[in-house]
Amino acid sequence: MPENNLLSAVNGYREACDIKLQLEESGSDFYELKGNVTKVISQLHPKRLSLTVTEVIEETVSTKTLRLASSRGAKLPPFQAGQYINLFVEIDGVHTARPYAISSSPSQRDYYDLTVKRLKGGFVSEYLLDQVKLGLNLISTGPMGTFYHSPLYHGDDLVFLAGGSGGAPARSILLDILNRGLPYNFHMIYVNSFADDVIYAQELRALQESFDNFFLTEVITRPSVDYVGYSGRLSHELLEGKLGRLDKKMFYVCGPTPFNENCLKLLTGLGVERQRIRVEVNGAPKAPNSQSGWPDGVALEDEVTVRVKGKGSFTVKVGEPLLNSLERNGYSTENACRSGECSLCRVKLLSGSVFNPQEARLRKSDRDFNWIYSCVAFPTEDVEIQL
Amino acid sequence: MRHFNSIVIGAGNAGLCAAAALQRGGSSTLLLERHNIPGGCATSFVRGEFEFEVALHQLSGLGTEDKPSIMRQVFGRLGVMDRVEFVEEHALYRMVVPGEFDIALPADWAQLKQTLQDAFPTESDAIQRFLDLCEMIAFEANVALHDGLKSNNEDFFRARCPHFVKYGFKSVKEVLDEYFQNPKLKSVLAVYWTYAGVPPSKMRFCDLASMLYAYAEFKPWHIKGGSQAMSTALMESFHEAGGEVHFNCGAEKIITKGGRVSGVRLETGEVVSCDAVVSNASPIATFHDLLDFDQPPLNIQEDFKSRRMGTSAFAIYLGLNCTPQALGITQASTFVQNTLNEDLIHGSMESMDAVHSALLTCYNLEDSDFAPLGKSNVTLLCLQYGDKWKDVPPEQYAQAKYECAEKLIVLMEQVFPGIRDHIEEVEVATPLTMMRYLNTPDGAIYGFQQSAQDSQLLRQRLDGVPGLYHAGAWTGVGGFQPTYMAGESTARAVLKQINTKEVKYA
Repeated sequence: MPENNLLSAVNGYREACDIKLQLEESGSDFYELKGNVTKVISQLHPKRLSLTVTEVIEETVSTKTLRLASSRGAKLPPFQAGQYINLFVEIDGVHTARPYAISSSPSQRDYYDLTVKRLKGGFVSEYLLDQVKLGLNLISTGPMGTFYHSPLYHGDDLVFLAGGSGGAPARSILLDILNRGLPYNFHMIYVNSFADDVIYAQELRALQESFDNFFLTEVITRPSVDYVGYSGRLSHELLEGKLGRLDKKMFYVCGPTPFNENCLKLLTGLGVERQRIRVEVNGAPKAPNSQSGWPDGVALEDEVTVRVKGKGSFTVKVGEPLLNSLERNGYSTENACRSGECSLCRVKLLSGSVFNPQEARLRKSDRDFNWIYSCVAFPTEDVEIQL
Repeated sequence: MRHFNSIVIGAGNAGLCAAAALQRGGSSTLLLERHNIPGGCATSFVRGEFEFEVALHQLSGLGTEDKPSIMRQVFGRLGVMDRVEFVEEHALYRMVVPGEFDIALPADWAQLKQTLQDAFPTESDAIQRFLDLCEMIAFEANVALHDGLKSNNEDFFRARCPHFVKYGFKSVKEVLDEYFQNPKLKSVLAVYWTYAGVPPSKMRFCDLASMLYAYAEFKPWHIKGGSQAMSTALMESFHEAGGEVHFNCGAEKIITKGGRVSGVRLETGEVVSCDAVVSNASPIATFHDLLDFDQPPLNIQEDFKSRRMGTSAFAIYLGLNCTPQALGITQASTFVQNTLNEDLIHGSMESMDAVHSALLTCYNLEDSDFAPLGKSNVTLLCLQYGDKWKDVPPEQYAQAKYECAEKLIVLMEQVFPGIRDHIEEVEVATPLTMMRYLNTPDGAIYGFQQSAQDSQLLRQRLDGVPGLYHAGAWTGVGGFQPTYMAGESTARAVLKQINTKEVKYA
C-alpha cells in the first residue's frame, strides 16, 4: 500500500484499507487458475483436433463417410448440428485444408462422421476417397460455423433443402432432433442427380417410417426411364404441394452453389422472407468475373504475380483464390471456412488490388485498411501481401 | 536470435496503444497476438449483412472539437485521429423499469439536471447539489488529486480536493442515500453500476460521478466501423512506424535471466530477446502461465490475494429487419431492469438463474451506416461472473447459452415487444466466449472486480520483475478510455527505462 499519509485524510480511506487487508487474509493468489483458461476452452473450442480414421463407410458409388475419433481416445468437443470442421491434409507436398460438415449426431462425441462426395477433379475429395485408410491420423480445427438451428427465433417447423452432399449437415440436424426428442417438424427435401447415388437413402427412409415429425421428399434430377418418384428440378408446385403454408417455416439450404442459388430464388419467389432462409456457404465462387464490380478487361486465365513480403513471389492465374495459390506455392495462413465467412485467413494487401466477391464478409475496417480474406480473394493485378 | 527493444503480448486496447507508442517513441517493438485480428474486445464480426460491435457501448473522454477532452490528445499522439471517424451521441441513456418508470436522460450537463428535476420535482434541490458534487468530484479525482498528493502537504491537499476528502472512498449507495429519498431517482442515477458490475454498495462514488460527468459533459461517442476500426487504425500506425506484428501467434513463455526479463518464447518455438515485455494479458496469466518463475514474487502474491475476480458478460448480437423507430428504440442506450432491488440484480450476475437487468444498445440509431437501410444493429448485454459457466458440462453448454439468451430476450420484450419476430441474424456470447477470445480467467472483461479495494490509490505497481510491465484493465480501470490510456502511459514508463536515445514520440 502506498505510504502516502495524505490519503488518510480522506473519509473512508482507513476502512477501505481495512477491508483490503481482510480480503488479503481470505483471498487466493489465483494459483488455482494456472492453465485454467486453456483447459476450459480446449474442451469447447480447441484450435486443433488430432483425429484418427476408425471406419470408412461406403455410402454410394460416389461417396464415403469417414468416421473420425480423437487420436487421444478422448471425447470430441460438442458442436451444434450443422457445423463443420476444417480438415488439414497434405497431398503431393501441398498443405491445404477443406471444411466438411459433420454428418453425425452431436448426441454422441466418440466420433465425427465426415461424408465426402467425389468432386470431379476435386484435389482433396479424391485424396480422401482414394488414399485415406483406416488408422490414418488427420488434423482439423474444432467445430465451427453458423449454419445451425437457433432456438431463439427459428421456430419448430423446419425445412431442409439438401443437394447431394448437402445431406451431411441435414442428417446431423435430423439426428439431433430425433435423439433429443425435440418438438420440431423436420422436412427434408433431398435432391440428387441419380437414384442410385442418394447418400443415407436407406437410413432416411427408415427414420421417416419411425418418426412422425420427420418428412422426407426425395427428388432425382436425372432419373432413369423406370424411376418412380419426383424428378426434375425443384419447382414452386412441388414445394407448395409438399410443404403447404410456408410463412412460419424456417428453411435451410445446403448443396452445390447453383442449387443454393436456385433454392433461394424459388423460396423468395414463393414469398418466403429472406430472414427465414439460411444458406450454407460453399467455397469461393467459380465465376467471380460474373459478379458486379469485376474489373473490365481482366480474364480468369490472365496471369499475375503474387509477392509475399520478405518471403518470395510466384505467378498465378487470376481465377484461382489466393489462399489456394499460396498453399500450392508452399505458403500458409490460418483458415477454416474457405468461403469468406470466418475471416481467419485475413491477410494484409500491401499493394495491387484483388477482387473481393460477395462471398467475402469483410468488416468495414478491413476494406478501409486493405485487409482481405485470402480464401475468396482474386488478385486481378500484380499484388504484394503480408503473411 | 532476433532482438527487439520491447515485446508487447496481446493486441487489446492497451497492447495496441503501448505498441504504437513504443514504436513511435523509437523502441523497436514486436507485437504478439493469438488471434488473426487486433483488438481483443475492441473488435467486430460479420453475420449476414451485419457487422457487430463486440464491446464498445459508449466511448468516453473524447469531447467535442470545440470542447476537447483528453482522448483527442492521446489518439493524436498515437497517430490515429485522421484514420478514424467519430460519431457523437446525444443521449446519455434511457432507463426503464416496467411498471415503475421510463426516463430518458440527455447527454448534456445542464439539460440533464433539468430532466431529472422535472421528473423528481420534490428532490430538485438535492439534484442540483448532487450534480454539482459529481462535477467537482470528477475534477478532483481525475485532475486535482494528482498534484494534491504530490504536494505532500495536508493543508494544500485538503484545500485542493475538499470534496474528494469528504467523499473519496464513499460508496455510491452511501452518497445517494445521503442526498435522496426516492428509490427510483437513486436507481436512475446509479444505473451505470450495471455497466461496471459492482453493486452501488461496493462501487466507489468517485467512479460513478466521473462516468456521469464525463458522458454528460463530453458526450458518449462511437467510432465509424466500430471499435475494430480504432484497433485496425492503431495497428496501421504501429506498422507505419516500423513495428512488427505476429498474428495467430501467442507468447508461450516470458524468459528471465537473473530475475530480469530477457526475452519471449513464441508459440512457434522461436525465442526473441528483448529489453522489456509489456503484457496486455491478465497478470494472473502473466505470472502463473507465462513467466518462467516457479511462483510470482511475494508482493505480487499479496496483491493477488486482496483482489477478487471481475465480471464477465453475456451478450446477444441482433441483426433486425426493421428500423429502430419501428421497435420504439429512442436512445442508443436503454437500461432495462425488472426490479429496483440492486442486491437481487447483483445476485443474478453471479448466477445463471435469472436476468434482472440488461442494456440494449442500438448502433444505427445515431449512425445509419451501422446497419443496412431499414434494418437495425442491436446488442443486448447483461453482466455475469464467469465461474458458474465453467461448471457447465461441455455437452450442455449450447443449451445453457440459449436458456440464458431466452431470459435476456424475454426481459427486453417487456420494453420492446416483438423484437424477436424481427431477428434476421443472431449471435450469442457467454462468459466462456469472452474467455475464449480475451484469454482472461473466468472471461473477465474489466480485469479484477472494480471495488474500492481495486483502486490504484490502494495499490502499488506490479513491479516484482525488472523489465516486465503490465497494461490493461487488470492493473487499472476497465473500459475503453482507461485501457487506451493505460497502454500509452505504460509505454511512456518503458521508454523512460529502456530508451536512452528516447525520441519524443508524439
